[in-house]
Amino acid sequence: MSPIVDARGVTKVYRTGAVEVPALHTINLSIEPGEFVAVMGPSGCGKTTLLNCLSGLDDIDDGAVMVEGADIHKMKDGDRTEHRAGRMGFIFQSFNLIPVLTAVENVELPLLLTGVKSGVARERSLNFLDRVGLSHRPKHKPNELSGGEQQRVAVARALVSEPAIVWADEPTGNLDSTMAIAVLDLLQEVNDAGQTILVVTHDDGIAAKAQRLVRMADGHIVADGLAAELLGTGNGVSAPGTRTAK
Amino acid sequence: MLPVILILLVVSIYDLIRRPTIRRLALRNLTRRRGEAALVILGSLLGTAIITAAFIVGDTLGASVRDHARTNLGPTDEVVRAIGLGKSGEIEAALKSAPLPNTDGLLAMAAGGGSVATLGADPRAEPFVQINEVDFGAARAFGDDEGITGMAKAGQTPSGNEAVLDQNLADEVEVKAGDRIKLFAYGQERELTVRQVLETKGLAGYGSSNLFVAPGTIASFVSAATLGDALGAAGNPPSSLVLVSNKGGVFDAADFSDSVTKELNKRITDLPGAEVVEAKRELLDDADANADQFKQIFGGVGAFSVIAGVLLLVNIFVMLADERKSELGMLRAIGLKRNQLVRAFGMEGAIYALVSSVFGVLAGIGVGRVVVIFAAGLFRGDGFRGGLDLIFSLNSSSLITSFMLGATISLVTVWGTSIRLGRLNVIRAIRDIAEAPPSGRSRIRAVVFAVIGVFIGLLLLQSGINQDNWFGALAGVPIAAFSSVTLLRPLVGRRFAVILGAGAALVWGIAVFTILPSALEKTEFNAFVVQGVILVGAAVAIVATNDDLAIKVVNSLGVSRRTLAARLGFAYPLARVFRTSMLLGMYSIVVFTLTFLSVFSNLFGAQAPRFARETAAGYQVLVDSNYSNPVPSNALKEADPNVEADAVLFQAYPKWTTQDEHEPTSWQVSGFDEALLARGTPVLQDIDPKYASSRAAWEAVLHDPSLVILPDFFLQGGGPPSTTIHAGDTIRAYDTVSGKTADLKVAAKVESDFVFNGPMVSQAFHRSFFSTSTPSRHYVSFKPGADARLAAARFEGKLVNYGVQADTFEDKISEALEQQEGFLGLMRGYLALGLIIGIAGLGVVMVRAVRERRRQIGMLRAMGFPSRVVRQAFLIEAAFIAIQGIVLGTVLALVTSYNLLTHSSTFGGQSINFEIPWVPIIVVLAVALVASLAASAFPAGQASRIKPAVALRIAD
Ligand SMILES: Nc1ncnc2c1ncn2[C@@H]1O[C@H](COP(=O)(O)OP(=O)(O)OP(=O)(O)O)[C@@H](O)[C@H]1O
Ligand SMILES: [Mg+2]
Repeated sequence: MSPIVDARGVTKVYRTGAVEVPALHTINLSIEPGEFVAVMGPSGCGKTTLLNCLSGLDDIDDGAVMVEGADIHKMKDGDRTEHRAGRMGFIFQSFNLIPVLTAVENVELPLLLTGVKSGVARERSLNFLDRVGLSHRPKHKPNELSGGEQQRVAVARALVSEPAIVWADEPTGNLDSTMAIAVLDLLQEVNDAGQTILVVTHDDGIAAKAQRLVRMADGHIVADGLAAELLGTGNGVSAPGTRTAK
Repeated sequence: MLPVILILLVVSIYDLIRRPTIRRLALRNLTRRRGEAALVILGSLLGTAIITAAFIVGDTLGASVRDHARTNLGPTDEVVRAIGLGKSGEIEAALKSAPLPNTDGLLAMAAGGGSVATLGADPRAEPFVQINEVDFGAARAFGDDEGITGMAKAGQTPSGNEAVLDQNLADEVEVKAGDRIKLFAYGQERELTVRQVLETKGLAGYGSSNLFVAPGTIASFVSAATLGDALGAAGNPPSSLVLVSNKGGVFDAADFSDSVTKELNKRITDLPGAEVVEAKRELLDDADANADQFKQIFGGVGAFSVIAGVLLLVNIFVMLADERKSELGMLRAIGLKRNQLVRAFGMEGAIYALVSSVFGVLAGIGVGRVVVIFAAGLFRGDGFRGGLDLIFSLNSSSLITSFMLGATISLVTVWGTSIRLGRLNVIRAIRDIAEAPPSGRSRIRAVVFAVIGVFIGLLLLQSGINQDNWFGALAGVPIAAFSSVTLLRPLVGRRFAVILGAGAALVWGIAVFTILPSALEKTEFNAFVVQGVILVGAAVAIVATNDDLAIKVVNSLGVSRRTLAARLGFAYPLARVFRTSMLLGMYSIVVFTLTFLSVFSNLFGAQAPRFARETAAGYQVLVDSNYSNPVPSNALKEADPNVEADAVLFQAYPKWTTQDEHEPTSWQVSGFDEALLARGTPVLQDIDPKYASSRAAWEAVLHDPSLVILPDFFLQGGGPPSTTIHAGDTIRAYDTVSGKTADLKVAAKVESDFVFNGPMVSQAFHRSFFSTSTPSRHYVSFKPGADARLAAARFEGKLVNYGVQADTFEDKISEALEQQEGFLGLMRGYLALGLIIGIAGLGVVMVRAVRERRRQIGMLRAMGFPSRVVRQAFLIEAAFIAIQGIVLGTVLALVTSYNLLTHSSTFGGQSINFEIPWVPIIVVLAVALVASLAASAFPAGQASRIKPAVALRIAD
């Protein structure tokens, strides 16, 4: 089977004025369809950057990323956007809900975007809100929900259209352990149904759910293997909290 | 005004120097995003610019009229005048009996009136020419400054058949030095040679068109046989004048006018028939009154734009506050005191306010210039008030006043918003939750305010009814109704409370002209501003509280991929009702005024044929001739065999007082006989109930010398008629020559005196009472099939020696209406500035909206929203506001103008047929809509180009 995501020599440098911040150094990473990949590493090592570059949200400076056989960075913006709408779901560190829309309206956006009829979209969205434990508050606006509730709305929104690839950046950061487990179970379920998942996390518990673990440090991939093995071998190659001096 | 600015500024200046925390917060926010700051300033300066422009237009008009003091009078401040020739020696002697304090010169002159034509087959003519005889040497020595006499280069006094013309007259008949002209006066004519043309200035500009001739010329025209007739010539009988120059220059010399006039009057008591005219003072007073009136009208129209500007300002500051809400909440959470927060925001705002007021004044000067350039075309020509050359002018006091007005408005707005912000609940602010409805003490306070509001409203209403006070009549009920919303809210819920309260205000605003007509009879222009604000305010309140229903209905029809943009576009304005209302109000009020003025300016134009019919009494052509040489009826018949009948009007130019005007003021008066009533009657309104019909009223005046028919614009400078005189009231006429007075009772009124007959009295009375009664005007009708316009032209060509001016009634009235229309057009152009506020405001608000929502847009893009949909959403949002504003503003303006025309006497009760000028309205509105969308296209494009990965990293 050909990989669903195949990154070759991906390099990313942030430029703020004269200062250059190299965030990714010639990253090679290949993800098979149906894989559940966890990305771990100290703060500032480039995890979010990796996610943005692989998903095509951000441009890269060198290399190429093939997503489902197509070079995502060579696509026209319109095609890339359409591809995202149809094939990808995103969960971010901060929830990024649309504040003027209700919970259910937020969740149904991706469905409406891909042309699902409004009745069907509403039903599936309510259904998904139910699965994240929010069936009782579909008509609330985001700022009337707790942080955890907002995160769950964001999770529902990312998963409702059953995307082929789910990109999740700290999806459980704002959740208590029970809720975190519930969300993880949901990701697991989705993964069992064949969807590919890449999740950035600091949490060993989450990483343990993944089959594969990628460890990053300083813009490099320093370890890549079975989650169980890597987690078993101790707490990683670079010590937690080591931040690369920039 | 000044104290408000000072107090607010002192607070900020104190903070700036003594409170580093506040200073740092305010200044950092200001400099953090320069582009944003520039945008805020741009939005806020528009209001000040419009105020400044209004002042400049007023100043310019004032200065332009005042300039006549220089061009038409120069050193002359008072004129002592007696009808008849050869009396100036006597007068001068009487005046010189002792030294005259505060004067520096006397100048004896003889004057008369005539007409001038060129020779040849196709002569050019000027029917109203002032003929002067004066010693040029003495004229140059008159006063203490030869430069302002206008005679410096005039050379010798004319002799023989020499004529010296002023530039005005020379231009009118197109002659230059060396040409020959014909002078007609008092039934005689003589050929003269133009020796020289003088700049129209000082003495050379004494009449409107001046001709200087050799001393004795006028006397030679007035042969013994015609002397009686000549002395009776209205306006310009042969007269002896002594001009008096006060100490000082052209303008400041008028300061002595009072004392000098008193002294002059004392010295001529023994000279029968001599009178003193305060020429300079009257001219300057007139100029100032004119300027004030224009300032008021332009200020009134400008008020709409200023209100729009204030709404924009509020909106911008609320947006600023919203954007920083959670940040400010955090500051409060870590211990920043409420009043420190308010003051920090206030300081930032004060800087915006001051900078934008300065730039506003500068921009206003530019705008004023443009308005004046357009206006110049309108005022030139010989229509509007005899033509006026506009001289761009601005007084420093006007600039200071407009700066202060602008600064006060923005400072008060800024502090109001800051205080509101300071009251935010910390947690709600951090989490960006809408403020809770008032509870406990604040709820009680709100109820108290509401009760007070209702009470004040009712008091105002009472004063409106009892004292005919327009503001009370107009605003009383709406104030009470708006206040009652707070009281109704707990009973019927917010939605219905607003519908009831604002609905009542809306209905009142529309119906008040029918309910309380007497209170609104003598309205100022400001009444329309108040009415517009009430209507738009009420309608916007209703619409903004119910928009969600409309959208729910639309959404319930189903959302699809195609309507996703619409869902987003509607969601934001619906979620921010306050901001949406401000924006909508701003936009609606601009559209309201534009539509309102469009309706009126077009209405007037469309009415010309009907007005002509109603004025002409069955005649077709109006013939005016020179007072000193009036055309007799048989000359008309000889000139054109198609003449069937004519009615002669005797004219004079006496002074009047009325219940509105206590200072004797000059105005035309006409005397008519049966002939005017032979083919129909001019249409009347406001007829004394004693008379069954128009005809009965005319007949009564014809037979009763104590009755008069009065035009609506009597003794009024311009603007809508604002007289309180009605049928049954009495006015007083003064014959300045004989000193007699007569009280005349108003039998009826004519709605628009487009042909400027003035009050109409019987011919018998006219000839016996007014010393200068002259048969100078004719209404002429022609045999069937004759071309009236051609006949009018023929009269002018053939009867040049009588100084005949002939026009069909229709042309005459169209011309008058065109000027009114032109004036309204000028106001419309000026108002277009308001539209710029509306459009730019919408653009500015959208730019800010984009920046406010960057993260959300980033997320939408990450989710796969095409950039096209993001752009569309923004455009839909702008269109949502613009279209609602256009519909609201248009509908309200049409309803209001319909009401005004059909129910109110404000427009003279003119039974104008209401017609909607669809074409101009649609053009204006389409331009407004397209321009608004174009202004939003930029921010929308910006939004669509946002890079998701970048936007998502932006801190909330
Ligand atoms: N726009 C930017 N300009 C400059 N440097 C940036 C920019 N965005 C990120 N960086 C830098 O790039 C590096 C990687 O950032 P990234 O957000 O990918 O880290 P991360 O691994 O996701 O950290 P965390 O676990 O804290 O979220 C960091 O050192 C960060 O400071
Ligand atoms: Mg990160």
